[in-house]
Amino acid sequence: MARYLLYRLLTAIPILLVVSLVSFLLIFLVPGDPAAEIAGPGATAEEVARIRQSLGLDQHIGAQMLAYYGRLLHGDLGQSILLNRSVMTAILDRASVTLSLTGLALAVSLSLAVVLGVVAAVKQNTWVDQSAMTVALLGLSLPDFWAGLVMIYLFAVLLGWFPTGGYVALSKGVLPWLTSLIMPAVALGMAQLGLLARITRATMLEVLRQDYVRTARAKGVPEHRVIDKHALTNTLIPVVTVMGLIVGILLGGAVVVEQVFSLPGVGRLIIGAIQRRDYPVIQGGLLLTATISVFVNIAVDVLYAWIDPRVRYE
Amino acid sequence: MELTRRELLVLGGAAGAATLLGGPAHAQKRGGDVIVGTISAPPTTDAQTTTAEVSRNISLHWIETLYARDEQGNPIPDLAQKHDVSPDGKTYTFTLRQGVKFHNGQEMTGQDIKASMERYAKVGGSAPIMKPVDSITVPSKYVVRVQLKNPVPGFIDMISSPRAPMGIMPASEGEKDRGKISHIGTGPYQFVEFKPDSHVLLKRFDGYTPNANYTKRDGFSGRKTAYFETVTFRQFPEGGARTAALETGEIHAVDMLPPPAADRLKNNRNVKIHPVMPWAFQTIMINAGWGPTANVKVRQAIQAIIDCEEIMAIASEGLYRLTHGWQHPGTTYFAGDVGKESYNQKNIAKGKQLLQEAGYKGEEIIFLTDSNYKNHQETGVVASEQLKKVGLNVRLNVVDWPTAFQGRLKPEGWNLWALGFGIEPYEGPYTVTTFFTTENNGKGVQLMADPELNQANAALDGSLKLEDRVKAFAQFQKRFFEYVPAIKVGDLGRYQATRANVAGYAPGRIPRMWDVWFE
Repeated sequence: MARYLLYRLLTAIPILLVVSLVSFLLIFLVPGDPAAEIAGPGATAEEVARIRQSLGLDQHIGAQMLAYYGRLLHGDLGQSILLNRSVMTAILDRASVTLSLTGLALAVSLSLAVVLGVVAAVKQNTWVDQSAMTVALLGLSLPDFWAGLVMIYLFAVLLGWFPTGGYVALSKGVLPWLTSLIMPAVALGMAQLGLLARITRATMLEVLRQDYVRTARAKGVPEHRVIDKHALTNTLIPVVTVMGLIVGILLGGAVVVEQVFSLPGVGRLIIGAIQRRDYPVIQGGLLLTATISVFVNIAVDVLYAWIDPRVRYE
Repeated sequence: MELTRRELLVLGGAAGAATLLGGPAHAQKRGGDVIVGTISAPPTTDAQTTTAEVSRNISLHWIETLYARDEQGNPIPDLAQKHDVSPDGKTYTFTLRQGVKFHNGQEMTGQDIKASMERYAKVGGSAPIMKPVDSITVPSKYVVRVQLKNPVPGFIDMISSPRAPMGIMPASEGEKDRGKISHIGTGPYQFVEFKPDSHVLLKRFDGYTPNANYTKRDGFSGRKTAYFETVTFRQFPEGGARTAALETGEIHAVDMLPPPAADRLKNNRNVKIHPVMPWAFQTIMINAGWGPTANVKVRQAIQAIIDCEEIMAIASEGLYRLTHGWQHPGTTYFAGDVGKESYNQKNIAKGKQLLQEAGYKGEEIIFLTDSNYKNHQETGVVASEQLKKVGLNVRLNVVDWPTAFQGRLKPEGWNLWALGFGIEPYEGPYTVTTFFTTENNGKGVQLMADPELNQANAALDGSLKLEDRVKAFAQFQKRFFEYVPAIKVGDLGRYQATRANVAGYAPGRIPRMWDVWFE
């Protein structure tokens, strides 16, 4: 396992190098620059040119790339052109929001999905099964931004149960924090709830047909113990396998949900940076996302081996 | 003097009648934390360095300027007591108000003005307005003398513009780079914090020195009073969420309410809608230096063909008016009916005739627009369809704003460009004429200099007599409709909105939170 881990970590390096190069070059292929954003929509061409020069954006691409990799080697993601702070600080300031949102979305979708999937499998071909799968299908079908707006209208405007947007830090109390995140987390997690519920149901149906489950039932083991102790663990194996993908999808989906609910997370930071061409933030954000994806997938592989003792990495 | 019983009865009756007829008194109340919903984060809170609307919406609460604009958009003194101009128009002597305090307790003096103006010349969002300045001296504590290289009749207009405000800060801020300031001003509120993607927080400045030359608020100047404890500008990029927050009372004001939401909320007792008309011009800029639109007859044909009302009705979502002038009616430089016959002609036959005279053979016309601003995109969509119907080969190119903005700076690759021209007409004639004369190294936004437009601009800039300048602008507008470097489609309006318990709010170019209180 240790050798496998080392191998995976070493292969992560070229992946991240490629991502950094692509994100650096992509920015120069896309038109527009941050000087126009700083100057404002009514700015004249001369005003924009002046700002470009003051920001060093008129330097040759080679010089800019050298400076970029020189900083990266020191762990410095550079300085945001528009926020007037380091990219690392800008990202860390917002990381807790995105991690809270994504974590809560994952917890909500995973827990509900497992329950829905197991219940649907156990009650296969009954109205319970149909209802559970309809909920899953709705989750998969409804766009998260639309669901978010509908929830804002229903639960914030009409019922007044939740705020329309904004983030309350955990330091201000668990309940206010949770209240500010529950709607966005549900909006974000809905599609994954649908996906995971369907995977759980299909896997559970497969597992329930296995010989060892039949044996357990024949031995008189209560049904709930058959499900909990014997079937569930094996059902979770494919769920864990897709978790790495799910985390990546949630991080991407957080971008839209953060916009709808005005959450000051990393997603909004990157969206804003793209709209305004804040190059260092775009580059830093892409690199960070790639790094998280790589390491989450490594962690999932390790978890997979831990859950299923048959799996061995050489 | 003792009053007789009869006199007392008369007085009592009069007081009673006044109470019944006058209605309840609206006593201003200090206190409360007001939250304003904004569409986006400011690109910077360094007030001097940007023309971005969202930045000045915030910064004009904590900084003030020497001169500012009144409710009608005319320059009036703010931090200055008055100014004198030498007969040759080259020397401006500003006498400052005395006893004005900065947020750090320091008194404002001439050195602070000098430093702020010199900084503006280096990093200001409209720094070119300082190009004619030869020197700035401080002959005494409350007097500042600005020496110009040549007369600039619009100098006070320029330094009083809120577009990229020449905010006055302590002299110690003068050497600081863009974005590195300590946010110290003289405004009724003071800066507390900026949390990107979340909010900007201001708090009342209890040491504020109101301008005793005025009795009430007047535009960006006048006598200002801060009643709220704090003002928070919270970002809600999603329009539906912003409107929902206003409906629930989570926020108390929005600087921009979409017209469909304004229509839905007009009967909501908890919300007050404040229309602002005019807000901006909707324009179509034309590339007079490349492709088919390099031919003046093609440009005149486009001007003849387009149906401005159809475009405005869709682009503005119903909040618009059709006016032809490049200055707002009722303002000093409004040129009356000059050019009106060329506006909104909807004359297809004339357009076709002009195209024939131009020898137009179906060459591609690229209409550049962006998806960030709804009015830009809709103008592009509707106008290009109108032109296609008449046989023009129009290709609509929709990109995002930074791409569109950069694209229009290039000499080729675009022929028409949709732009909402916001604060520039409000500022007065100079920014408008600059766009079509001195911008882009003298070629104007249309990328081809026109000697007659330049001549009119020179006359506007050259005469110290107001009547000459008014005439010069009228001449500029006349030539504009002949040369057609751009088309004015109409005036866009905007809805601002507040909760019903927000009293004293007057709609304007920014959501002003002074002289406003909670009832």
